[in-house]
Amino acid sequence: MNTPSPSAKKPAKTGGTRKAPVKRPSVKAVAKPVSVLIIGAGFAGLGMAIQLQQAGIRDIVILERADAVGGTWRDNRYPGAACDIPSNLYSYSFAQNPNWSRSFSGSGEILDYIHYLVSHFNLAPYIRFKQNVTGLNFDENAGLWHASIEGGDTVRARAVVMAQGPLSNAIFPDIAGLEKYKGHTIHSARWDHDYDFSNKRVAVIGTGASAVQIIPELVKQAGFVKVFQRTPGWVLPRPDFETPEWNKALFRKFPGTQDALRKALYVTHESMALAVIWNSPLTRIAERIGRLHLRRQVKDRWLRRQLTPDFRIGCKRVLLSNDYYPALQQPNCKLVTWPIDRLSEQGIRTAEGIEHQFDCIVFATGFDVCKTGTPFPITGLGGRALHDEWARGAQAYKSINVAGYPNLFLTFGPNSGPGHNSALVYMESQLDYAVRGIQKILDEDLKMLDVKADAQAAHNKAIQARLANTNWNSGCKSWYLTEDGHNVTMYPGFATQYALQMRTLDEADYRRTPMAGG
Amino acid sequence: MASIDLDKMLVKIKSSQWALADIDWDAPGADLITDEQWPKLKAFMADLMWIEHVGARAFAAMAKKAPTETLREIYTYFHAEEQRHANAEMALMKRWGMLDGDEIPEPNINLRLVIEWLDRYADEMPVYVLGTVVPMLEVALDGALCSFLLETVDDPVCHAAFQKINDDESRHLGVGFTVMEMQGRSKTFIQLTQMVAPLLDPRLILGIASYFPLLNKMRDNIMEMGLPEEKLYNAMRKFEKIGGRTADGRRNPWFQIISRHGRFVINRNNRFYHAPVDALVKVTQYIPRRALPAVPSWVKELTYRPAA
Ligand SMILES: Cc1cc2nc3c(=O)[nH]c(=O)nc-3n(C[C@H](O)[C@H](O)[C@H](O)COP(=O)(O)OP(=O)(O)OC[C@H]3O[C@@H](n4cnc5c(N)ncnc54)[C@H](O)[C@@H]3O)c2cc1C
Ligand SMILES: [Fe+2]
Ligand SMILES: [Fe+2]
Repeated sequence: MNTPSPSAKKPAKTGGTRKAPVKRPSVKAVAKPVSVLIIGAGFAGLGMAIQLQQAGIRDIVILERADAVGGTWRDNRYPGAACDIPSNLYSYSFAQNPNWSRSFSGSGEILDYIHYLVSHFNLAPYIRFKQNVTGLNFDENAGLWHASIEGGDTVRARAVVMAQGPLSNAIFPDIAGLEKYKGHTIHSARWDHDYDFSNKRVAVIGTGASAVQIIPELVKQAGFVKVFQRTPGWVLPRPDFETPEWNKALFRKFPGTQDALRKALYVTHESMALAVIWNSPLTRIAERIGRLHLRRQVKDRWLRRQLTPDFRIGCKRVLLSNDYYPALQQPNCKLVTWPIDRLSEQGIRTAEGIEHQFDCIVFATGFDVCKTGTPFPITGLGGRALHDEWARGAQAYKSINVAGYPNLFLTFGPNSGPGHNSALVYMESQLDYAVRGIQKILDEDLKMLDVKADAQAAHNKAIQARLANTNWNSGCKSWYLTEDGHNVTMYPGFATQYALQMRTLDEADYRRTPMAGG
Repeated sequence: MASIDLDKMLVKIKSSQWALADIDWDAPGADLITDEQWPKLKAFMADLMWIEHVGARAFAAMAKKAPTETLREIYTYFHAEEQRHANAEMALMKRWGMLDGDEIPEPNINLRLVIEWLDRYADEMPVYVLGTVVPMLEVALDGALCSFLLETVDDPVCHAAFQKINDDESRHLGVGFTVMEMQGRSKTFIQLTQMVAPLLDPRLILGIASYFPLLNKMRDNIMEMGLPEEKLYNAMRKFEKIGGRTADGRRNPWFQIISRHGRFVINRNNRFYHAPVDALVKVTQYIPRRALPAVPSWVKELTYRPAA
């Protein structure tokens, strides 16, 4: 492994403004089909390209709708943005970075790491920017996927990898009068770095993972901040430290030591599954830690009551913060728990009858997670539409393939989400699996590699049975669940179990159609 | 009258929200308050506003204990709506020149005790205790205080505000009685007996010790205003009538307790009840304010300003 360039030396960049070095002309429908099409240039898409490349597959195109790589970390550049899984684990094992400046790195540093991946593995030639994929269509006679791109272009490919991101479409909440408000609005995932908060009255709507990072920073900058909370989440202390220089040097000199830390972190997070995924004695302990954290940081009884969660820890994403509770108690900050009635021209009307007026409203309201349906239409064998099949909840085989949609590989597919560990740990298993599948298609010259419907059904039966007794399904409303309470996002088990599930591609579960025979 | 569908009720509640800004607090008519009315009205409004606020806190406790998600959300709204009533009543007081600057009116000592109790123990009370006491207070308020106020005060802004407040209250009552019936329904005798177990809980006894004098004190204040005692009692009888309209409602032991208690309150001749409680009212007047802890911070959320 080569040592990544020390990212700290790079100047800080602002969100979404990095341009592609060269703009390539778009490809017309007549162009030769590519071996692999990857949709999205975030961690998943870029990791996929790296792994394919390592396996000797280089006929790759990555379509990215934005004008820069990075996905989540290009878009989420709000003040305080950082990962909440230690960077040594929230990075690829095949490209470790000895230079992380702290345990939980900020978004700028993570974005730098992603740029390092692109340059180190020479991925730039594969990427086409400003290519928004609007549909996928399988041509079963030719064994080719057709990807339609906004503007009319098409790319054809033997295999497609969906890497469009689980949290890439920012949403505004369903609040009456949203369009009436005349002040400034900012979504956490589309930060406005030019807006000057000083002396401004600011509202933050939402108290999830992004909000608890934004609020402490905003309180430092703004005149007054009101935080609108619907349900309080569990907040645990965040063991965040700067990495001492000697430590970085050690990692650089003896990469084995970093491996060892990564393994230790991995095991620690695996054990958290016991607290977070299932209701166990560890769950009680985690809740006790959460309550102690709250008691220690918040002295006022009413405020503490407002901040006390009323659901089991782990049912929703656990929040990590040392400065969220203190920020709420600053003289220029206030927590509002009255239900929001509507937005008016000047602010937010809440049910206690008061109009709270603001210069700016920050929406930390999260993302549209595709739990039912697909981000764009996907048409498979015999014209079947994935959107219809998933209308009542997404379903796949081992989270990665769907029967009737041959040669299509999903990243962050149904029931692949971690609640307690790095998404990238899970991602690596998916990438390896997809490489194996794609190799099979190319090496054996398959027209179709299609998972069998009964194998998919059996897999899901087992998964749903295991989900039934997890904390996610214990009764709280969260973005993990569909409207009718189906959990189609989370994987009910340890990352190690997931890795085991993904280790083998069981040929008996697939239908293989050779090119010639078709 | 059949029980209401709580899911539909929640939708209705959400679509019926209003704000202080919907009312023109400077519209003409404030001078319709006579000089003679003014001091009594001031005391009355201060009590009323505090009772709304106390009701708000009770709903907050009920939201924590609600058996279903829908009820939890309904009570969360009711919590806010009672706060809105208190805010609107303060805005009226402001309009009538009854507030000293930005000061929140002082609660009387009995209210102060109830606030203290709610702050300490309400969250720990089983939902059916508050679920019965609150409708009782609401009936007393809705049926007696508010209608009386509207009969005596001519200011059109007061009428406009109470039009909205009363609309909210009718929904509170609908939900309150439905929940009382739900609690009486499909419970075995043993479960019903268990519902009464908290009566032995010293925390509840403390609550009762602050609630009884409050009712008697309210009665005194209202009569001071010139409200015929009979009106208050009629309202309390209404509680018994609506709450007991179905077998399920009557099976709820807390309904039995509260409505029986209501009968005691109404019956002035019941010396056995009134002598000690009136004495308690007297005694409580001697509690030095300094002896009470600082008001809890939820009290500081009150405001008469439509915009913040
Ligand atoms: C604020 C925040 C903090 C997070 N912190 C953590 C953490 O600490 N630990 C953790 O494990 N996970 C974390 N996550 C989850 C995070 O999303 C994943 O870990 C990971 O970054 C996802 O990578 P991805 O490549 O799958 O998706 P993304 O990074 O979202 O990339 C998807 C890319 O696809 C592009 N795209 C989307 N649709 C189309 C289309 N139709 N056509 C073309 N291109 C398209 C997008 O523009 C984007 O560039 C966090 C997420 C957020 C939002
Ligand atoms: Fe009220
Ligand atoms: Fe009410």
